[in-house]
Amino acid sequence: MSPFELSEPQTLQDAVAMLDASDTGIRPIAGGTAVMLMMKTGIFQPDRLISLRGIESRYSEVSVDDAGDLHIGAMTPLRRLEKSEEAAQAAPVIRRALRRLSNVRVRNVATLGGHLAHGDPHLDLPPVLIALGARALIVGASGERVIEIEDLFRGYLETALAPDELIAEVVVPAQGTRRATYMKHTTRSADDWPALGIAVSLELNGDEVGSARVAIGAATDTPRRLKSVEAALAGKALADETMQAAGDAAAAEAEVHSDARGSAAYKRELIRVFTRRAVRQIMEMGTGGAV
Amino acid sequence: MAGGSTTTVGHSYPRMEGRAKVTGRAEYIYNMRLPSMLHAKVHRSPISHGRILSIDTSEASAMPGVHHVITGEDVKKVLPEPYYGPAFHDQPILALDKVRHFGEPVAVVLATDPHIAETAAQRIVVDYEELPAVFDEVEALTSDVIVHEELKPAGTFADLKHLAGKRDTNIALDYHLQHGDADKAFADAEHVFEHTFRTQQTMHTPFEPMVALADVRNDHATVYSSTQGPSFVRFELARLLGWPESNVRIKTAHLGGGFGAKVYVKVEALAMALSLIAHRPVRVALTMEEQFYTITKHPSTFRIQSAVDKDGKVIGRKCEVWWNGGAYADIGPRVTQKSGFTAAGPYDIDNVAIDSYALYTNRPPAGALRGFGIPQLVWAYESHTDIIARELGIDPIAFRKQNILRNGRPQAVGTIVKDGEFEAVLDGVAERMNWNRPFDKGSGTKLRGRGVGLGFKASISPTTSSAIVSVNADGSCIVYCSTVDMGQGSDTAMAQIASEVLDIPIEKIRVVNPDTDVTPYDMSTLGSRSTFHMGHAVRLAAGDARDKLHAMAEEVGMPEGSNAPLPELFIRKFGMRAGAIVGSANYIPEFSPPNYDTGQSTNATPFWMIGATGAEVEVDTETGQLTILRLVNVCDIGTPINPIVVETQISGAAVMQLGFTLTENMVIENGQLTNPSLADYKIPGFFDMPDTMENGYIDAVQENGPFGAKGAGESGTFGVSPAIANAIDDAVGVRISEMPITAEAVFRALREKQGKPLEEN
Amino acid sequence: MGGQKKTIGFTLNGRRVAADIGVHQNLTEVLQEEFGLFGARESCGQGLCGCCTVLVNGIAVTSCLSLAAFADGADITTIEGIADGETLSAEQDAFIETGALQCGYCTPGFILMTKQLLDENPDPDDDAIMHYLSGNLCRCGAYPEILKAVKLAAQKRKAG
Ligand SMILES: Cc1cc2nc3c(=O)[nH]c(=O)nc-3n(C[C@H](O)[C@H](O)[C@H](O)COP(=O)(O)OP(=O)(O)OC[C@H]3O[C@@H](n4cnc5c(N)ncnc54)[C@H](O)[C@@H]3O)c2cc1C
Ligand code: FES
Ligand code: FES
Repeated sequence: MSPFELSEPQTLQDAVAMLDASDTGIRPIAGGTAVMLMMKTGIFQPDRLISLRGIESRYSEVSVDDAGDLHIGAMTPLRRLEKSEEAAQAAPVIRRALRRLSNVRVRNVATLGGHLAHGDPHLDLPPVLIALGARALIVGASGERVIEIEDLFRGYLETALAPDELIAEVVVPAQGTRRATYMKHTTRSADDWPALGIAVSLELNGDEVGSARVAIGAATDTPRRLKSVEAALAGKALADETMQAAGDAAAAEAEVHSDARGSAAYKRELIRVFTRRAVRQIMEMGTGGAV
Repeated sequence: MAGGSTTTVGHSYPRMEGRAKVTGRAEYIYNMRLPSMLHAKVHRSPISHGRILSIDTSEASAMPGVHHVITGEDVKKVLPEPYYGPAFHDQPILALDKVRHFGEPVAVVLATDPHIAETAAQRIVVDYEELPAVFDEVEALTSDVIVHEELKPAGTFADLKHLAGKRDTNIALDYHLQHGDADKAFADAEHVFEHTFRTQQTMHTPFEPMVALADVRNDHATVYSSTQGPSFVRFELARLLGWPESNVRIKTAHLGGGFGAKVYVKVEALAMALSLIAHRPVRVALTMEEQFYTITKHPSTFRIQSAVDKDGKVIGRKCEVWWNGGAYADIGPRVTQKSGFTAAGPYDIDNVAIDSYALYTNRPPAGALRGFGIPQLVWAYESHTDIIARELGIDPIAFRKQNILRNGRPQAVGTIVKDGEFEAVLDGVAERMNWNRPFDKGSGTKLRGRGVGLGFKASISPTTSSAIVSVNADGSCIVYCSTVDMGQGSDTAMAQIASEVLDIPIEKIRVVNPDTDVTPYDMSTLGSRSTFHMGHAVRLAAGDARDKLHAMAEEVGMPEGSNAPLPELFIRKFGMRAGAIVGSANYIPEFSPPNYDTGQSTNATPFWMIGATGAEVEVDTETGQLTILRLVNVCDIGTPINPIVVETQISGAAVMQLGFTLTENMVIENGQLTNPSLADYKIPGFFDMPDTMENGYIDAVQENGPFGAKGAGESGTFGVSPAIANAIDDAVGVRISEMPITAEAVFRALREKQGKPLEEN
Repeated sequence: MGGQKKTIGFTLNGRRVAADIGVHQNLTEVLQEEFGLFGARESCGQGLCGCCTVLVNGIAVTSCLSLAAFADGADITTIEGIADGETLSAEQDAFIETGALQCGYCTPGFILMTKQLLDENPDPDDDAIMHYLSGNLCRCGAYPEILKAVKLAAQKRKAG
């Protein structure tokens, strides 16, 4: 690794001040798992890193507000999020998805903020958070703004964040009676970055789907919603034909490319199968309690 | 053969170095630092084939902290013929004139700070004239792209004395075997079958990457290396330097894995040359990524044909095998030949013709990897055998048994099989799998199947091992041998053998790390030869020491059979606790060289290694995804010296082959290797393990082996790949003929079968 | 060149230590070069094999992906620090007894992860063990024996 400089601010505001809108050689580092990998492979050679590890501890906390919204500080390690009872209550799909995300050691240090800001399409939580309708609170030199997670991703390692903006917090709105599931599929070995991630969140009225949010990750250029699938589900009975239709819609809508994890044609088939299976899984969760 | 009251052989002793390993204090060469040493960082070729037009080192040299920037021409100034290799002297220490594969070393930066060396290495600018490249072994046979304009056979090893290479082709070696009259058998046959199978390029990925530290001063070179073959490295470096072998010292420690990656010269010649130039100790420590550019396993293509009579007896087999050796031959020619003669499989076939070709291509070099070519062959012949059985409607096990090679019968090479329990091994698998009981084939989108694969290997021959066993005056004992313990437990096995022969408790025995100034010659730690060859050498050396102790006892008037402790004996002889009794031995098994026209030999190998695997799989027909429900591995390893170590060798070998079967694949696109890292080159982890796995060995004795033992490090690899392919066929009726068996490959085959082929993209 | 330096102080296997490091250096490198501890070692260098595992403030981390600068003020335990003098820990004993090591390169990482797992979950089933250890790779393929070792270690810890 080529040498660089390191700053260790004590507040989020100071960290923001140290960033530079016009200099991408200055970058924040949180857990560092992605930054280190990029530096070691030479993809990224920074001049200066701004460590977020010393900023206010409230950015590493998980809590639920009176409205039932789940607040996750951007510096929260993924492992803490996985173990959080508040998060498990509010949206149990997060804990389930985390269990197969990377490994314990990486989850021990990787943060939710870093996970999202990294902008790698092959990550597990973006589709989950999109399906849950989550948003991010962003702090920059010119103030704060809120952005839907579904609007965060712009391209390979590209996000809507300016170089001098930081994610401060992620908010998952109260899920009410919605149920969600996430299907991770790997094609190269069992333990891997996903080749495909499908997250489905449904509001059920008895055996009928009220509204649906469906998001895909890894197989497409960026994590995104699959609106035709949502339409194929909304207002339909939870029956085989509906699941089939959802799968077909997903395969038709998702734009996929061939890569090391499989040909586009194969991935389209996987999308069809796993979208169907995700919906089925929600159906099989039964009606007992919010899941 | 056993000694007195100590019965050490045959017991599951925990590894001698276990404590050092679990406390993190085991010695590995990667941990070594030398005073005033420089770190080397290699600048590598970004293309697969090209002429070097110029190398600009100015920016790198100008960086503060950089001591030297060294190119192939600089090496040539101190070593006029800087080429090495066990079969051909074809590999330059640093590229000269041409680069022949992606990642080939072109220049090196030396600095005290490794980060500076790394940054500077990126600032070397090389101008190339890119040349067309050839990557496929079959194309290489007829391609206009010639990887080497000139070839220089090494003439080092007895079994490779005949190598010449063919000028203006990419053929490093062609090997031919004729046994009976294959053409006639095919003319007479009731059924004829022909299939072609392929394997991919893979890598050993030893977790301790290759490393060498060289300290050359005056007329003496010391090289610390994580090598599997210190004696060969000494030989080769002495040759390059033009020095006697006594002026070159190679030392090793424990190896963090080898699997064949660390045999012959890997980074040692480079480290030596750099130290020679810099006049300082130099450390060349590869990263995991760099190992992918250094040595790999041969991709292969195998066309196999069988002639079968009306009763299901295989009467003839023709085999054509093309081995993709990459840019430098390394030991590929031996793979071609040694493995070549077993290409027809473990069957008693009267008429066999084998043509086996080692080819140069522009891939990273290929050499030995756990099984030495055998897993590639078994993949083909056991898939082929299974297809025949299915097409003839014969149970696959019954069909194999009908044709199996038995003791007393000649193998295709002309050697009569002895102590080769092929049938018992196959039966062992069938029994554990309850082959004759009904099998649940699953339903719906989850279908199940099972399959077997049986393979075998000859030992490399003729090779020599030497050992020294020294008994100290306090009754403890030191074993000096150049067998390298890279995790296979050889130190423990050698200690057990010495313990057994000398009747000294194993706790009092120490096995010295190989050091060519101290431990005597050994051909190399490879091909599962150590237990047999070095086991014999240690046994004989210990016996020599024991005889000397007996003579000494007689001399000092201790009655025969006296159980006086050893220290007593030394005190009586030397008047105090002093002196040492040293036994030594060389071991070389008998061998008759093959006839080079027919490939026939009456004694081609001192022993046969046999391994079979049974697999039960479940296929998800909607995705092609595979679950290995059960993997059963059974081997003939003679009588184990250390049962638990042997079992873990069988198991570990099978796990490794599972990776080669399902996930591992070096992908070259546009002349570049796209996945040289564990992030993208996927080796098996916990979740890739079969749901259940059983490993075992049959009751057997290798009559000419030490305590009835023979090699066990590779046999577990043999049957894994075809067993899985055969099980897939059994489950869903599709045949995969190319490794790795990915879910997508299975899915595509399923769609093909349904008449709805999946589009390419 | 040479880059920014920093003096860090931390507790290493129970002892207060300090070192002058380059801020670009990773923790594996500093433990080796400054403290001669080689039990955490870099193999894949990318967070996949776990050979470089160390415990930082009681949490397992991948030291090849950790800046040493972040160790300032931390409490670090390496494989060299888990035996009690000459008495091996339950996990270390269990790995030897079950033959759960071959070349030994991955072993310190597996043992530290096992210790962490058993601290969190004294009675893990196969699934829990596999999930917890899935970030460690063993090229020698000792997985079946490692599974046995973890269970034996759990028993040994319970037996005290
Ligand atoms: C071995 C390994 C396996 C993995 N497997 C998986 C997997 O299976 N599934 C999966 O989803 N992921 C996987 N990952 C990726 C992992 O999830 C990410 O590396 C991690 O989440 C990044 O978090 P971090 O805190 O370490 O980010 P860092 O590396 O610190 O930062 C990542 C990026 O985000 C920026 N950044 C960090 N924090 C902020 C912030 N608050 N605001 C704005 N920008 C910020 C940094 O500048 C950098 O560009 C794996 C990683 C490794 C190393
Ligand atoms: S070396 Fe750090 S995880 Fe492999
Ligand atoms: S014991 Fe060799 S890598 Fe695990």
